[in-house]
Amino acid sequence: MKTRCILLVFLALAAGGWAAGPAAPDRFFAALAMTKAQKNSSTPADSGLYLRDAQGAWQHYGPRILGVAGLAVHPKDPNVILIASADGVVRSADGGRTWRKTTGWEVADVRSIVFELATPGRAYAATAWGPLRSTDSGATWQLAQAGLPKLYSQAVLADRAKSGRVLLGTEDGIYLSKDAAQSWSRVASSPATTVLRLAQSGADPRLLLAGSQGRGAWLSHDSGRTWAPTDAASAAANLYAVALSPHDPAAMAVGGWGAGVRVSADGGRTWTDRTAGLPVKNVFVLAFDPGVKGRLWASTFEEGTFYSDDLGRTWQDGGLYGAYGFDFIFVPPAR
Amino acid sequence: MLKPAKRRNILVFITALIAGAMSLRAAEAPVSLADADIARRFQARRAAVLEKSLGNIVPGDPAKGGFFDVAACLQLGRQREAALARLAVINEPMPKENMFWMYPMATVMVAGREGLDAASWARIQELWRIYWPSRGDTENHWCIYYTSLYLAAQSFPGAGPEQWFNGRSSAENMAEARSYLEHWMQIATSYGQGEYDSPNYIEEYVTPMCLLAGWAQDASLRHKARLMLDYVLYDYVVESLDGYYGGAHSRVYPRQVVAPALTPVSALGWLLFGFGEPQPNGTVQLVALSGYAPPPILERIARDRDRPYVERELKRTRWRLRHAGPDSFAIGDKRTVPVYKYTYVDHDFVLGSSQGGLLQPIQQQTWSLIWRTDKGLKSANTFFGTQPYSSPLEGTMFFGGDWDTVTDLIARSKADYDSEDKLPGGSPYEQVFQHGTALIALYDLPEHNRFPHITTFFSRDLTRTTEDASGWIFAQGGPVYIAYRPFAAGEWKPNDWTGLLRNGAGGFISTGFAEWGTGHRCYVSGARRNGYVVQVAPVREFASFEKFQQAVRALPLRFSTQAAPEATFTALDGRVLHARYGAKPTVDGAPVDFAHWPLFDSPFGHAERGSQKLVISHGAERYLLDFEHNLGQQTVVPTAP
Repeated sequence: MKTRCILLVFLALAAGGWAAGPAAPDRFFAALAMTKAQKNSSTPADSGLYLRDAQGAWQHYGPRILGVAGLAVHPKDPNVILIASADGVVRSADGGRTWRKTTGWEVADVRSIVFELATPGRAYAATAWGPLRSTDSGATWQLAQAGLPKLYSQAVLADRAKSGRVLLGTEDGIYLSKDAAQSWSRVASSPATTVLRLAQSGADPRLLLAGSQGRGAWLSHDSGRTWAPTDAASAAANLYAVALSPHDPAAMAVGGWGAGVRVSADGGRTWTDRTAGLPVKNVFVLAFDPGVKGRLWASTFEEGTFYSDDLGRTWQDGGLYGAYGFDFIFVPPAR
Repeated sequence: MLKPAKRRNILVFITALIAGAMSLRAAEAPVSLADADIARRFQARRAAVLEKSLGNIVPGDPAKGGFFDVAACLQLGRQREAALARLAVINEPMPKENMFWMYPMATVMVAGREGLDAASWARIQELWRIYWPSRGDTENHWCIYYTSLYLAAQSFPGAGPEQWFNGRSSAENMAEARSYLEHWMQIATSYGQGEYDSPNYIEEYVTPMCLLAGWAQDASLRHKARLMLDYVLYDYVVESLDGYYGGAHSRVYPRQVVAPALTPVSALGWLLFGFGEPQPNGTVQLVALSGYAPPPILERIARDRDRPYVERELKRTRWRLRHAGPDSFAIGDKRTVPVYKYTYVDHDFVLGSSQGGLLQPIQQQTWSLIWRTDKGLKSANTFFGTQPYSSPLEGTMFFGGDWDTVTDLIARSKADYDSEDKLPGGSPYEQVFQHGTALIALYDLPEHNRFPHITTFFSRDLTRTTEDASGWIFAQGGPVYIAYRPFAAGEWKPNDWTGLLRNGAGGFISTGFAEWGTGHRCYVSGARRNGYVVQVAPVREFASFEKFQQAVRALPLRFSTQAAPEATFTALDGRVLHARYGAKPTVDGAPVDFAHWPLFDSPFGHAERGSQKLVISHGAERYLLDFEHNLGQQTVVPTAP
């Protein structure tokens, strides 16, 4: 009897997480600009965040701001949402009902924004003018430039496994902070070029993947302490997109300009081109869908978003034709 | 029987004609430069602009007129109902012009404050709540964004965060805006503007400063904006000729680079100083509405071309986000590179230059010659060279975009940016050196440069163009003789040889191409190591064109393009100029002293780097602009009667 009860609890958990009923799906956002329709204009036809509804249609979400590059939702309080935009950081404290810019004129071109999982009040942002840190869930921000010889930063990652440990993709490679972005030091083995994207595995937090400008993909198996190039075929590519499966630490993908989508099913030992089926080889965002095991999403430059349930062997139309994607963000349902 | 609106338009036209005639006469005969006469002429032009604005609002037809016309009606208390009807139509759709919506809207709010009705105010306030205008990414964008935000917030003093698009209260928005604007003034008056001396974008600085000078309630900010207006306009007049902005420019569009009379600054030159022809536009309207009148010393300087002089100025590049380079320096946490400007201003022409290199991401004009002309708006009184260059390096240096898309996205609005026949643009492979009326340009292009050639623009206004057996090409531009000695052979091509602009690419930047873009040609040379010498001289100094040619042929010139391009040239003034690609140029053997290059220096003004002070001079007259001390530092010592 006792064994059966334990088994039932286990099955319920496996099927629906901790919630009593079936788990709500993650909310799936795309940060983008509609540049395909941008003719004789310096501004895109539309921009901001789009949210995918249950029918698979994309709806604009939040304020219409230019240069929205990403979004972060507080790990404990889903009402607190941060938008990375060209105008600065824009924050909601009421689940998206109202928004407030929480940075001053000094801050522009925010390229990436994250909350820290272990200490959720902490948030970090990578901007073209240098990184920022917040200790009050993004309500206020401070410059976080100590130790950086060059300030341009495009990617930031807060280590899920260790509080205060932050990695920053800069013009000068990857920098690591162990004190919540109060100081930085260069990771010697990281590529000496602009690091465009960073990802951490949901299945194995020690596993990190980086995309770089002109130096291809780089992999770390020790939480970002050391890095080594992976995938020789794309070693000279500008890789804007990297993704690690949350279900399988061996599954990963990289994408970039002219590089299409390349996948590995063996932890980066071998890579395969999976561009066939996509309209172009220019890929800016990749993400594994945490809600659908094995599903990989890809955003091409202006030619649409696609998903694959067989690690890129075939692709399905995912909408957003004409978009220049900057990020995909999956937000787990509130618990 | 003429309708009242038509009668008014005729009256406006006659008034403008009179004002235009006054300015024409001003160019032909000495005009009184007494304060009262300068003021009287300016007020006549201002009145003509405002009267024309009123005529653009047509009672019973709310489809006509723009924000500035509405503002004029409301400020002057004329045709209020028609103006409000027009405003309701303009304000009906959601705006989409970002900061370029903000300042016309703010103008209506401050200039038309007394005339707006409750419904208009309600809609205006609603728009500020629901529409999130982008701040943009250039110095001019930020300047007009924060000025407009400041004045809009000033108009709703008690508004809380919920009443603003960005969730910040009026007080917070005003504080942020003011902080930026004062920072901008401090940087501009210490290190020079990043978007410097643009015949196009000067209006985006005059506009916000006029708004603040006219309507900021804070006396200190209002005064500072007024000083800044005087500063920006001095920067213009000291390098101008009959209202044309001469020399090197941070940004100029393809139309205006070949037709200097069509620049917004020429429109301002008419309103503010009486040069050229009336060209109504929003900036001219706004200046007229604001009540700003330039200090008379500026017109005295603008018209004083009896003696040639050299103007040296220090500017800076736009902030470099990436690839800042070893020549960059930091201001706070941002990096930039000094821009050394040298401009020779003559009674009949202006020859000016910067050192070359990537000083701006787009539309840079590294050097140019303009000359006095009577051809008006159709004139193409300019001569210049460029090395067509576009690259993601340049784009990502100045913009936050991605390497592989930045060039494409720039060209979505600036179509010529990525075209081999582009005329404005900077190049990392160009080095320019000028002393007096002579200029040496050197080029060292890498093997795989996207556009492996240099282009020299020969305007349709040039006459007597002669390819001399000596290798010199001689020409005459109105009252100036030009000698151009290319180091490598080239070929003549029509400008716009790709047909890009002729066929309408770029939307508004191509508009009217048939009028301004045809009949010119370019001398295009494909040698990777290349260069040329330019020597100009006023026609009045030579008995004939042939005498000029003889004099130039006799000038010692040695050049080499075997290794790093190099030239040694003895100019008409006897000075020996030497330039070698990658090295500091010399004059009579002495290296040019870039380390002590002043912020401004000429007989008409001086400012030291970092000083936040500019002393403007004319005769015994002095006008000190002091931005370090907020108030009461403006002093004028008039000439003794």
